[in-house]
Amino acid sequence: MRKEWEYLLDGVQKPARYTGGELGSAMKDKAQIKVRYAFCFPDSYEIGMSHLGMKILYGLVNERKDAWCERVFAPWVDMEEKMRANGVPLYALESGDPISEFDLIGFTLQYELSYSNVLNMLDLAGVPLRSRDRTALTPLVIGGGPCACNPEPLADFFDIFLPGEGEEVTNELIDLLIAHKEKGSTKLEFLRDAAKIEGVYVPAFYDVSYHTDGTLQAVTPKETAPTKVKKRVIADLDSVYFPKQFVVPFVDVVHDRAVAEVFRGCIRGCRFCQAGFIYRPIREKSSDTVNRQAKALCDSTGYDEISLCSLSTSDYSEVETLLPQLLSWAPDEKINVSLPSLRVDNFSESLMEELKKVRKSGLTFAPEAGTQRLRDAINKNVTEEEVLSTAAQAFRGGWTSVKLYFMMGLPTETLEDVAGIAELAQKVVNEFYHNPDKPKGKGVTVSVSVASFVPKPFTPFQWEPQDTMEQLAEKQKYLMENVHSGKIRVSWHQPHTSFLEGVFARGDRKLCDVLEEAWKRGCKFDGWDEFFRFDAWMQAFEACGVDPAFYANRRRDFSELLPWEHLDYGIRRAFLAEENRKAHESVTSPNCRQKCSACGAARLNGGHCDAIQ
Amino acid sequence: MQFNEVRVFFTKTGMAKYISHLDLMRCMTRALRRAQIPLWYTEGYNPHLFMTFARPLPLGVESLCESMDIRLVGEMTFREIKTRLNDALPRDITVVSVAKPAHKPTEIAFADYEIQLYTDDPAALLQAMETRFAADTLPVLKKAKQGKRRVEKETDIKLNILTFALAQQDDGVTLTVRVTAGDQNNVSPALLLDALTANAPVAVKHTDILKRRVLLENGEAFC
Ligand code: SF4
Repeated sequence: MRKEWEYLLDGVQKPARYTGGELGSAMKDKAQIKVRYAFCFPDSYEIGMSHLGMKILYGLVNERKDAWCERVFAPWVDMEEKMRANGVPLYALESGDPISEFDLIGFTLQYELSYSNVLNMLDLAGVPLRSRDRTALTPLVIGGGPCACNPEPLADFFDIFLPGEGEEVTNELIDLLIAHKEKGSTKLEFLRDAAKIEGVYVPAFYDVSYHTDGTLQAVTPKETAPTKVKKRVIADLDSVYFPKQFVVPFVDVVHDRAVAEVFRGCIRGCRFCQAGFIYRPIREKSSDTVNRQAKALCDSTGYDEISLCSLSTSDYSEVETLLPQLLSWAPDEKINVSLPSLRVDNFSESLMEELKKVRKSGLTFAPEAGTQRLRDAINKNVTEEEVLSTAAQAFRGGWTSVKLYFMMGLPTETLEDVAGIAELAQKVVNEFYHNPDKPKGKGVTVSVSVASFVPKPFTPFQWEPQDTMEQLAEKQKYLMENVHSGKIRVSWHQPHTSFLEGVFARGDRKLCDVLEEAWKRGCKFDGWDEFFRFDAWMQAFEACGVDPAFYANRRRDFSELLPWEHLDYGIRRAFLAEENRKAHESVTSPNCRQKCSACGAARLNGGHCDAIQ
Repeated sequence: MQFNEVRVFFTKTGMAKYISHLDLMRCMTRALRRAQIPLWYTEGYNPHLFMTFARPLPLGVESLCESMDIRLVGEMTFREIKTRLNDALPRDITVVSVAKPAHKPTEIAFADYEIQLYTDDPAALLQAMETRFAADTLPVLKKAKQGKRRVEKETDIKLNILTFALAQQDDGVTLTVRVTAGDQNNVSPALLLDALTANAPVAVKHTDILKRRVLLENGEAFC
């Protein structure tokens, strides 16, 4: 039987994004299923299919006999247009059924600029946008992922957020939903029980009040809701579920390879990096587990590349055991091992030797700031010498292009720091020409990628003002005046998108109306330059009487109640405040292996943190 | 390196018709790897599987007669290859047989298609298509490349159609047709439909196109 939407695929771009039927996709008999789960990624298929978290939860739910998890992505604009013109609602790829018929509609919230797509997908599905307008028990709209650490700008649209790691809580929630469906409960009855599960945040169970200056006055729990919702933490990564099979896409997606997760958390404590704080405490997998999971995935998918995934792979304590393990079978099977997120400072000679055996992709360093003073302020413990000596080492190893990542608009940044970016890039260029046996006839390319810094919740910079777009434009201009070599290529993100990202990252519930208004004005795919409509966004803020600068560019007082403080990510507020104070004095903190700074995250994991020796 | 050339015949039906040729190659590579068939890899810094296809199938066309040639470097029976590959392939791609190649893909001369055209007025569509086919010539604009420029050239494809049958259905028209399919004279189903439905008084809502067989000059099946 052909579904009515099938013929829509004639003439759309890359139709294989909408067909399902990929190897590894889960097909089930609806008659056996008690809960149907539409796992939505609010961006294109190519981006969503590259995401490890989705693969984990997809596999985890489909291990169950009584539940069926299916994938849903934001259709590209040509497909959406056809769907709307023909009255075809958003459907899930496996069954082809409309997701409005599902029990759970789950969104993974990876970045703020995908929020307009969340609304657009709900609308395309024919599901009322606001939680209060969905009166039946199902579909329930739930959200997880890193942005669930401050989901307030989405609070009116979601029934439940799941801060933290999803492996355990997803199953608990499904069990509870099955029980309530069988009892014929109302949505309120279900939510009352759900709110009792650790790691379940029901936004409707909190009353929010504001001071006259617009800052938060109080967030008051009601019903069964706890005062603070603790994020969920998986205690043991060796025993937690990890997929043996991925859905292998037909079309070329962004990361099209097998992925083995190595550890969670990060020992570095870079003060700008939200991931470095919200995924704490540090938990590692044993190298045997990683090796076994990597091998199983390569066998089942047929991929010819395995990538190790973590925030900083060279900090993995067993990296020197793992690499030889992987290299004992991967090359024989024509499989490349790739190691993203390597750091420069602990790039040992022996690791370098092993690396020569893996694919020579571009070498990337992330000094993040141009001067030592600013690197100290952000606690990026990389020295110029380390960058230069590693670059020299890499050039000797045959590399001819290097990518350097920087941020602009960091707290305490001056024009001197901006010029430092150009100077450091120039020194890397010089390093190449100092190499006596540089490859003949080959030049060097140093690509400098400059992102605009966006202050995020649960970081030491959560109180800091973000640079205005004018300040950033000025700094960009100044940077270019200081680049004097054709070997240096500079690129940056649009300051407009960073501004919007900053507003939503630290936003409160007043932004729900703005988001809906912007979506009504046609905003979607905000992360894509060709669709981003800054003017429409600004009109939406104006129409709702909300000043975006209040969220992005305002310095918060330490005494201010922040919109995400009823969520408990383990990290102590006092620790963050202390880190902030040290930043302003350009004082570094030791990394977690050198010394535990008692950040507080281990509290959510029975006091355990793998970085504490 | 010693190797045995092997031809794999497969079908690509259902939603698999939306898999582009490039994506199909990637999909096959992975299936061959999963199936752990002992295959010959090209030499060099970035070795890849040797694999060639008879003729890329256009996007949106289903087929019962696709084939690809691979090179074995170890022993494996044809039956074993077929079973393993079918276990490793996605839902809508299925291996029907594996054999030693007898003919070169360039010897393919004809192809049989079965095409359903859906419309609100089947009688009118049938009549229009019959009229087009009954004329002495069947002209159609063919996209071609002239150097770097893309041009449209009018071509007559009347002589490229060897057999032709139309049947009226409740919801449309069924066209069964044999056309030339050589390297120089291939007639794609899209071109054929352009030619036949030009001037049709009713809109074709959508089509199902199935490639049934490919044949040699002497009318025997390509194998
Ligand atoms: S508990 Fe200590 S070692 Fe672990 S992440 Fe926090 S500061 Fe680092």
